[in-house]
Amino acid sequence: MLKMTHLAKVYRTEVVETYALRDLSLNVREGEFVAVTGPSGSGKTTFLNVAGLLETPTGGQYHLDGEDVSKLGDDARSRIRNEKIGFIFQAFNLIPDLNVFDNIDVPLRYRRMNGAERKKRIGEALERVGLSARARHYPAELSGGQQQRVAIARALAGTPRLLLADEPTGNLDTQMARGVMELLEGIHRDGATIVMVTHDPELAVRAQRNVHIIDGQVVDLTEEPRFHGVHAEARQASA
Amino acid sequence: MHFGPILSAMRRNKVGAFLIALQMALTLAILCNALFIIRQRVVMMARPSGVDEANTFSLSNQWVGSPEQIGAMIRGDLAALRGMPGVVDAYATNAYPLRGGGWSEGIGLAPNQKHSSAHTARYFTDDHALNALGAHLIAGRNFTADEIRERSERDKAQPGVMIVTKAVGEKLFPDGSALGKTVYVEDQPIVIVGIVDMLKTPWVSNAWAEKFVENSMLDPYIFISKQYSYIVRAQPGQLDAVMQAAQKKLFEVNRNRVIEKVRSYAQIRADAYRNDRALAIILGTVSAALLAVTAFGIVGLTSFWVTQRRRQIGVRRALGATRRAILAYFQTENSIIAGVGALLGMALAVGLNLWMVQALEMQRLDLLYVLCGAVAVMLLGQFAVLWPALRAASTPPALATRAS
Ligand SMILES: Nc1ncnc2c1ncn2[C@@H]1O[C@H](COP(=O)(O)OP(=O)(O)OP(=O)(O)O)[C@@H](O)[C@H]1O
Ligand SMILES: [Mg+2]
Repeated sequence: MLKMTHLAKVYRTEVVETYALRDLSLNVREGEFVAVTGPSGSGKTTFLNVAGLLETPTGGQYHLDGEDVSKLGDDARSRIRNEKIGFIFQAFNLIPDLNVFDNIDVPLRYRRMNGAERKKRIGEALERVGLSARARHYPAELSGGQQQRVAIARALAGTPRLLLADEPTGNLDTQMARGVMELLEGIHRDGATIVMVTHDPELAVRAQRNVHIIDGQVVDLTEEPRFHGVHAEARQASA
Repeated sequence: MHFGPILSAMRRNKVGAFLIALQMALTLAILCNALFIIRQRVVMMARPSGVDEANTFSLSNQWVGSPEQIGAMIRGDLAALRGMPGVVDAYATNAYPLRGGGWSEGIGLAPNQKHSSAHTARYFTDDHALNALGAHLIAGRNFTADEIRERSERDKAQPGVMIVTKAVGEKLFPDGSALGKTVYVEDQPIVIVGIVDMLKTPWVSNAWAEKFVENSMLDPYIFISKQYSYIVRAQPGQLDAVMQAAQKKLFEVNRNRVIEKVRSYAQIRADAYRNDRALAIILGTVSAALLAVTAFGIVGLTSFWVTQRRRQIGVRRALGATRRAILAYFQTENSIIAGVGALLGMALAVGLNLWMVQALEMQRLDLLYVLCGAVAVMLLGQFAVLWPALRAASTPPALATRAS
């Protein structure tokens, strides 16, 4: 699903060059749930931004869903973000001027989906996150946990193949965090590939696989045996 | 495009949006009325006077002291002027078209009529006047030399004949020709012996005189006064030379005079319409300034909105909006605001005009101006929004994940 080889990302300002990612290689398979951990400033968000086509790498190769996306133009990248990727941000990033319904509608409209289809998907997504009753509310009228669930509904409504989450529970208390985590696990069970950055070791262990990033490099890979088994079966089935 | 969500987002910023819409409305209202007035003035300033303006000039003559033989002196001057090389013809008069000041007179269809039947400008002329002005006689005849009388300001003697403009004839006799008819001026009978197609009054830039701006009558008089004007028509291309030479010639004939205001008809026209041109220029400048202020207002408010919404623009980009889509968002938003402003402005424009029709006797506003103004304001909005919208479109999508 996601294949990075010798990926580099350098931020150049007039005074300094920051190597946010250096020689990062990583392979995330279809249907995996990967937790990314690492110290602050190690390059986790940068990794996620490159993975989500929000930023372009300065070196190396990136194949998403079999397609080399490291050299795509802005419009093509926008389209892939819109159709294949769902984003969940630490700061929720709902649009404050739009109500819950219209917020979830945003990526669907960019996909030029017809009105009936959008309405159906928004309804389903809201039901899934348990906020059907709040469709006409504005973000400011919701709790943090509810806002993050709206954000998840927004990511879900587009039925993305890949879900990228940057500390989705970072701004939530333990109970709300648990609710969000359960939602993500449900989405994963339904077949989505999830890459989640987190500081919380408790959440990290609930993923199938942990990736540790230090200083812009993947230093540690722990893959749960459970996953290998599932994946090996899947490979056999497709062969 | 995405009308619905843009509208609902605007509901939450309605004060700013409404103020800009209002500003656009006021701009539109003032703009189309101003352009309408400018256009009217331009049309007015372009009206022909009936004079061969390209080749004609006036010269104001004042005698020094109290000469007895002014009639003879005028005849002497005219003989000298008409004899000059390059001169087509010349005559002496109290006033001339576009002069700014002159005599007005009422013509009646009967003696002792309480209200005159036609109001006119009154020009004292002679048998050379039509030729010197380049006026076209369309019926009847010119004065003959023996019809010309001397007349001072207090003298009321009428020689019994006059020439009028077509407009006067039609005013007096709407159902038939005025030629040969007897009418009454200062309660004395006068026969209309000639009709010229056009000769404007001296008052062409004056609301009260506008109603009879085409009404002029020509009397066969030598005007006996210390001060009067000569009208001289030169051969084509000779105007400047003759204007110079004529003054020299007159001083050769008699030094006891003051010659002031030697004006070509181009100058006379410029003087006559000075206020109208100034008004047009002021209105034009104000309109341009208003457009600029409105454009800057739009640029300012949109820039503010772009800065304010930087994060959500980044989020939209992350969620799949292309640069084009972000650009379109702000353009659509502006069209909605401008559309409201244009509708409001069209109503205001018509209202403002109706008020001016009542209070200032303005003409009714041509609705085409309102429509053109609305289109102009919409285009102005799109033009002004472009720069901030392009800035918005260049927002990097990674902004969504980086703390603001
Ligand atoms: N736009 C940028 N310009 C310059 N340097 C940047 C930029 N974005 C990130 N960096 C730098 O790149 C490095 C990696 O940043 P990144 O945000 O990926 O870290 P992170 O692992 O997500 O940290 P945290 O856990 O605090 O969120 C940091 O040193 C950071 O200062
Ligand atoms: Mg980070």
